[in-house]
Amino acid sequence: MTAKDTFLSKFSTLSAAPRTFFKRELVPFLADLRLAIALLLLIALFSISGTVLEQGQPISFYQANYPEQPALFGFLTWKVLLTLGLDHVYRTWWFLGLLILFGSSLTACTFKRQIPSLRWFSRTWNFYTQPRQFEKFALSAALDQRSLDDLAPLLASRRYRIFRQGDSLYAHKGLIGRIGPIVVHVGILVILLGGILGALSGFIAQEMIPSGNTFQVQNITDAGPWAMPQIPKDWSVKVNRFWIDYTPEGSIDQFYSDMSVLDSTGEEVKRKTIHVNEPLTYKGVTLYQASWSIAAVRVRLNNSPIFQLPMAQLDTGGKGQLWGTWIPTKPDLSEGVSLIAKDLQGTLIIYGNDGKLISTARSGMGTEVNGVTLKILELVGSTGLQIKADPGIPLVYAGFALLMAGVMMSYISHSQIWALQTGGECYVGGTTNRAQVTFEREVIGILDQLEQTDEPALSLVS
Amino acid sequence: MDLVKLQGVLDNASFAVLFITMLVYWVGAAFPNLPYLEIVGTTGMAIANLCMAALLGARWLEAGYFPLSNLYESLFFLTWGITTMHFVAERMSRNRLVGVVTAPISMGIAAFATLTLPTEMQASAPLVPALKSNWLMMHVSVMMLSYATLMVGALLSIAFLVVTRGQAVELKGSSVGTGSYRDRKYQLRKAGEPIGEILGSEMTAAFSNNGSVAVMSPPAIAVTLSPQRLSLADTLDNISYRMIGLGFPLITIGIIAGAVWANEAWGSYWSWDPKETWALITWLVFAAYLHARITKGWQGRRPALLAAAGFLVVWVCYLGVNLLGKGLHSYGWFF
Repeated sequence: MTAKDTFLSKFSTLSAAPRTFFKRELVPFLADLRLAIALLLLIALFSISGTVLEQGQPISFYQANYPEQPALFGFLTWKVLLTLGLDHVYRTWWFLGLLILFGSSLTACTFKRQIPSLRWFSRTWNFYTQPRQFEKFALSAALDQRSLDDLAPLLASRRYRIFRQGDSLYAHKGLIGRIGPIVVHVGILVILLGGILGALSGFIAQEMIPSGNTFQVQNITDAGPWAMPQIPKDWSVKVNRFWIDYTPEGSIDQFYSDMSVLDSTGEEVKRKTIHVNEPLTYKGVTLYQASWSIAAVRVRLNNSPIFQLPMAQLDTGGKGQLWGTWIPTKPDLSEGVSLIAKDLQGTLIIYGNDGKLISTARSGMGTEVNGVTLKILELVGSTGLQIKADPGIPLVYAGFALLMAGVMMSYISHSQIWALQTGGECYVGGTTNRAQVTFEREVIGILDQLEQTDEPALSLVS
Repeated sequence: MDLVKLQGVLDNASFAVLFITMLVYWVGAAFPNLPYLEIVGTTGMAIANLCMAALLGARWLEAGYFPLSNLYESLFFLTWGITTMHFVAERMSRNRLVGVVTAPISMGIAAFATLTLPTEMQASAPLVPALKSNWLMMHVSVMMLSYATLMVGALLSIAFLVVTRGQAVELKGSSVGTGSYRDRKYQLRKAGEPIGEILGSEMTAAFSNNGSVAVMSPPAIAVTLSPQRLSLADTLDNISYRMIGLGFPLITIGIIAGAVWANEAWGSYWSWDPKETWALITWLVFAAYLHARITKGWQGRRPALLAAAGFLVVWVCYLGVNLLGKGLHSYGWFF
């Protein structure tokens, strides 16, 4: 009978004794290893679906790609896909439910299996007093005319901790390998808790800010129900300058934003130049360099004052980025030219109203168009910032640290050796939990050395 | 010194040496009694390993950053990792069957990188801004090493499946200590060892790594308990488990390094990007493997089947995701 059957059959008695149900049914069900394996593989399987099916697209995308006739694999129409939430797998109730079940299973397993078994292994009085107790080990031997005094130094030189009582000896090493899996489980639980805390109380915002402007965080794209205290209200940020460094070949080397944090009176309290991989953090809110754009172009016509004209991104159908604007060359706006830029390196292309290429211009240079001198002074870039606060981060990082420590500890094999001298013979036997091949070599080596010790057992082997 | 020319020599040399090494290991497995093949195979692996280390070192000098920016470099780093892990597994097991599975996979990857990848994809390319960070070395190198280790472990599981086809087996090694106990058929086995009048040298032969207790003669004078040794299948099973056990911490640390990097650089430690998700899937599959070994109903060959499936999952994670061609994890592809 499987645990699942008992779980279901006893379900009717649930209301009668909830505590008994919890102890006798729910916890054993959750601590069942087969459930753990099933959950690991199910999470893997559903995660695959999210990498195969496009996530977070508009409905029209799924309607076009997953039509009702013919349905993909005979069933996967856009309606089925959207009903199951396969357009946002990792946020569906069933995926999150699976993760919660996974967390519960981990908790149950840690308390029901791991900690009780550890209690047994951490005892130091595991002494054997009967020769027959050695028969169960694969690696055991009976040696004539050898004593525990011969064996102990051999074990000590291999870093075993040795305990002796009368004619019995118990030695072990690598107990940390038994603690490792518990640390791994605790680490994963802490990460899950940190993730939940972050989802509830964190926020993400995105801002596109032209060089020289000051802003407050407004364009919030995602926020948890308890995110309000994290969203900054009494301070703002000024983008002093945004620029891009290009490689000699013309590709982007790095983009930078020189930014100042201003308090409510406009006083600068912090200043930093950020770039990709180097964000700015203030009061738990972090600003990351994420993208860029061209905001405007500053031009002068003949001896006019300087105009700053906004530039808009053009639709290129996904083939590179272009920004454009239109500049009137006559006061009544009857004539003008289009300016096109593809980056902040300073070269612009000028088109006439008829769509024909007139010339190219560089910033700082004047160009003759429609009888006026058009002088491009500067291209103004905007910095694309990702702004985020996540109070769950300390917890997640703590979980990461535990998980890393735990998996490394879990590599270590816990080796135990028992010995007994009785009736002129010395019985030696041992087990290890993980590294059987290495342990076999070690035990054979110990037995080998023990055999070679001089009789009678007086001298010690180094 | 012309670094580019040197690289061209080194990648062809690693491929050629690996090809010969593979043949040596295969001949050695088919004719176990031929002398020197073991040492020749191990030497071949060492030469290939050093060639690839020199190749990557030359790249590092040439480009000025850790050479893991494109598919070619990453394939050679993977092969270097596999040959390195070959030595770990071979030292652990003292068994030449390890090379029978690791040499062909190394040769195959080196051949693909040297012969199939177009020349323009072999040239080193500048890093995009997002990857200019010290985390690149930490995250990518640990991930690649974990792939290499998991591949070696999974391949040994496949070898185990081949060796034990049609047999019932008992697993050797798990976190709770499966397989440390005497088989029932060996219970109370009294090996014939002439205790009492024994000479030290004879006992040495009995207990040395190459000797076998069971074939000892002359017949027993006194009967006593002697160790039951691991069989070939046992060794393959345990070494495969230990290699996966080594790869698992590596992939865990690699994923976490990536998550911390992503959080420091872009403000999100997990964003379900396809590569990230597949790394998690790989982690989950091998976690399931490790748990299957301690599960009562999952003994025998079944965990090894899971590990063999893990071999495919690692490849999908490493290369398959690039076919989607999205995100920072794309090395580019050749069609």
